[in-house]
Amino acid sequence: MNTKIYSYTYEEAGQIAEKEGLKFIPTLCSMCGPVPGSCGIYAFTKNGKFVKAAGMKEAPVNNGSLCPKGHAAPQWVYSSDRLKIPLRRTGKKGEGKFEKISWDDAVSVIAEKLSLQKKESGPESLAILAPAFRSYNAYMSRFLTAHGSPNYAHSGICAMQRAFAFLYTVADWPQADIENSDLIIYWGRQPVFSSPAMAAPKMLTAAKSRGARIISIKPSVEPDAGMADLWLPVRPGTDAALALAMLNIVAKENLIDTNFVEEWCYGYDKLQEHVKQYPPEWAEKITGIPAKKIIETARLYATTGKACIDLGNGVEHAPSASDTIRSVAILMAITGHLDRPGTNLFGGVSYVPGSRPMPKDITLRERYSKELIDKLVAPEFPKVFQPFLEGISSSYYKIFESVLTGKPYPIRSVISPGTQPSVSNRGSKNVIKALEKLDFYVVIDVMRTADMNYADVVLPVATPYETDHPFEARDGWIFIRNKVIDRMGDYKSIYEFFLDLGVAMGYGNDFWDGDINKAMDDQLQPFNLTVDELRKHPNGIVYPSLPRTYEKYEMVFNRPSPRLAGGKLLPRGKVAIYNTTFEQAGYRPLPEWTEPPESISGNPDLTKKYPLILSDYHTSRNFTASWQRNVPALRKIQPHPVLHIHPDTAKERGINNTDWIIVESPHGNMKVKAELFPGIRPDTVMILHGWWQGCREKNIDDYPLLDGGANVNNMYSTDTEKACDPLITAMSSQTLVQVRKA
Amino acid sequence: MSAEYSIIVDEAKCVQCHACEVACKTWNNIESDISFRKIKTIWIGKYPDIRSCYVSIGCMHCAEPACVEACPVSAVTKRESDGIVVVNAEICTGCQACFDACPFDVPQYGSDGKMRKCDLCLNKIDHAAQTPVCVTTCPTQAIKLVSITGKDKLTAEQTLAAVIGN
Repeated sequence: MNTKIYSYTYEEAGQIAEKEGLKFIPTLCSMCGPVPGSCGIYAFTKNGKFVKAAGMKEAPVNNGSLCPKGHAAPQWVYSSDRLKIPLRRTGKKGEGKFEKISWDDAVSVIAEKLSLQKKESGPESLAILAPAFRSYNAYMSRFLTAHGSPNYAHSGICAMQRAFAFLYTVADWPQADIENSDLIIYWGRQPVFSSPAMAAPKMLTAAKSRGARIISIKPSVEPDAGMADLWLPVRPGTDAALALAMLNIVAKENLIDTNFVEEWCYGYDKLQEHVKQYPPEWAEKITGIPAKKIIETARLYATTGKACIDLGNGVEHAPSASDTIRSVAILMAITGHLDRPGTNLFGGVSYVPGSRPMPKDITLRERYSKELIDKLVAPEFPKVFQPFLEGISSSYYKIFESVLTGKPYPIRSVISPGTQPSVSNRGSKNVIKALEKLDFYVVIDVMRTADMNYADVVLPVATPYETDHPFEARDGWIFIRNKVIDRMGDYKSIYEFFLDLGVAMGYGNDFWDGDINKAMDDQLQPFNLTVDELRKHPNGIVYPSLPRTYEKYEMVFNRPSPRLAGGKLLPRGKVAIYNTTFEQAGYRPLPEWTEPPESISGNPDLTKKYPLILSDYHTSRNFTASWQRNVPALRKIQPHPVLHIHPDTAKERGINNTDWIIVESPHGNMKVKAELFPGIRPDTVMILHGWWQGCREKNIDDYPLLDGGANVNNMYSTDTEKACDPLITAMSSQTLVQVRKA
Repeated sequence: MSAEYSIIVDEAKCVQCHACEVACKTWNNIESDISFRKIKTIWIGKYPDIRSCYVSIGCMHCAEPACVEACPVSAVTKRESDGIVVVNAEICTGCQACFDACPFDVPQYGSDGKMRKCDLCLNKIDHAAQTPVCVTTCPTQAIKLVSITGKDKLTAEQTLAAVIGN
């Protein structure tokens, strides 16, 4: 058999372009948003129109692969949902009546309002909602700090939650060394759909090919679980119980690395006593996983030298999230699976400084003060642990609670750049109520959004295919975007918006006098490069990594904490099994179990009316979060919001595949389609989050945002006492439901 | 038998990402509702001992194509030079006999009613030096363009049919 593999290099992309009469532009894909670490692409244009894309062979991120979203980019860019002219609300909130205004006028309107509110209520009355991690988040932080507000609203449900609990336990977010491991545990992790063209799916299939053993822990069978040697179908929100039971087995059977525990861990003796209360039989009742599978997994992990855990976003959505993550970190440590080949390696988000240049930090964190932290409206992490890696941050959902309750003070303005609070975070009903009450709401987006009709000002911005900035740098690859097509209306980029607003507010000194190239030159200083010099490299620049070294315990365990109060992440320079830092701040020194706000084991009385657990998928194979339902080629893959339901569970209710069904929780309901899914726990149903948007080309209308729609974030508890992790927010995405035919 | 082209799938590597499906649409300018490649989920076992795998299915350009046999007007033919199965849209009546005949549910019908399917990017690329974009874009190299004998192709067809249970 004769096989060829042929990805597109710069030269080959040029040959294709010449043959087909096209122009080709090397740039970055933007379908996951403009993020550091985007995939490299060649964009092809015909008569100035973006027609198709191919993966860039030279890009270390994707090595020539590209996912369906990347290929569908032209349909997204030219969607009829694009916003092209700035709008000012003329009708009532939610009514959708606007007048057209110019970009400059829109910026002035916003600047005047913010200046007035700053005078009346203080700068902290402004909050900016962070979308998922984007490279413009640093511009948002910078603006807030220059303005004097600490209220950078981070989701509270993604990435920083893991980073926090890991860093305060082992001083690093240790990454799974999948390429060298004999046993890989994907835990609440989606190694394919999160980044299909990047390294994770390639490492998964390569591991499978070389015969590594794979264990997958999640409530339903996604590709990793489908390929796994062992699948642990955990009930949503109960990962902490599973992790504590694994600690119980490891401690009871003494499956520890005694030397490592003695030399590098603090408080193992206390843990040993503490986890006696969490035997696998106890965890079976909570997690729904048979005790023998828990024991098997714990033993396998502890006794396999080259074993790693890839802990995913799935564990960041429960009130016990920090306990799960700490338990897993402790499990890695006491079994000797830290920073050794094939285990979990130091060098994640807080990688060894100095090994490769990083762009200059522009968040103005040097101006952080206790006064600023004290003004936080709803700290994402307790004030004593502020700032964390992304800076000072508030919890996204609780911003809206402050609008409704006025506690501790009401937020008066919310800017929503590339995020949709009514569908992409919890508590949709309260979010809509708050948007009705809020003084001033600004929506900034490339596309029509779910809650745009509540905005006072709507600002369209360029897709990254329409700009030649910013540069992105991650993992040793730096690349500057090239513009693929011209802009289609009176708008600029999101980056330019923050520069323009900064200048209009009188913060021009902090905003490079509104010049995006100056901003980038400033950030490029550590690279000894200017924008013009960087642009001369058509495939960017790759900085080779220093050779990896192992067992860097002395150095890593003595890292400083990012919090204003200073000190080390680990006060004793050892793994904080017993966490005195948390204890002193009034939190649990050892990980414990907490039930989700509604669960089978925690609320047996509620299960009579609502017998099934509902949770949602964080990532999808064809959409980014709550976006892109309007892209026909992507919508074709998944035309309707579907609830995954086990065939037996469906049969008991007379539900057939593709039937429309009603899903009802104590907090709301949804009307969606049933997908009979053999690979899901029979007591659990799951749906992708973020459904609201229609698709004109396919004659599919928008769905209602609240009851009767398909918005899973309308279904969960908003009792923040019960639904949030006290340390890391991690607002719950589990509830109990009943399902019936519509 | 002379060498024939085909795209074959390794179901152990397909991760259900759908990149091949969408890449094909944009590169060949195909209407969004037509998919020359489709991803099928295969379930193996029963809960809780259940596994799954995924297969990207497109035209196999079969060694002995049932569609060619079934077409009443000979609109579907197999090229002798390279084994590629092609459709002559001018002759096709849209009767869909090919759909009933195909073991892989490959034939699609566009808004004009004519049968459409993968032609291996015929006339778009030089198969001796290049591969179609569905193959180049695949993150895990689960699909590959191969030049194989008719006998090997038959084996590949039978393997795929067994995997998808047809």
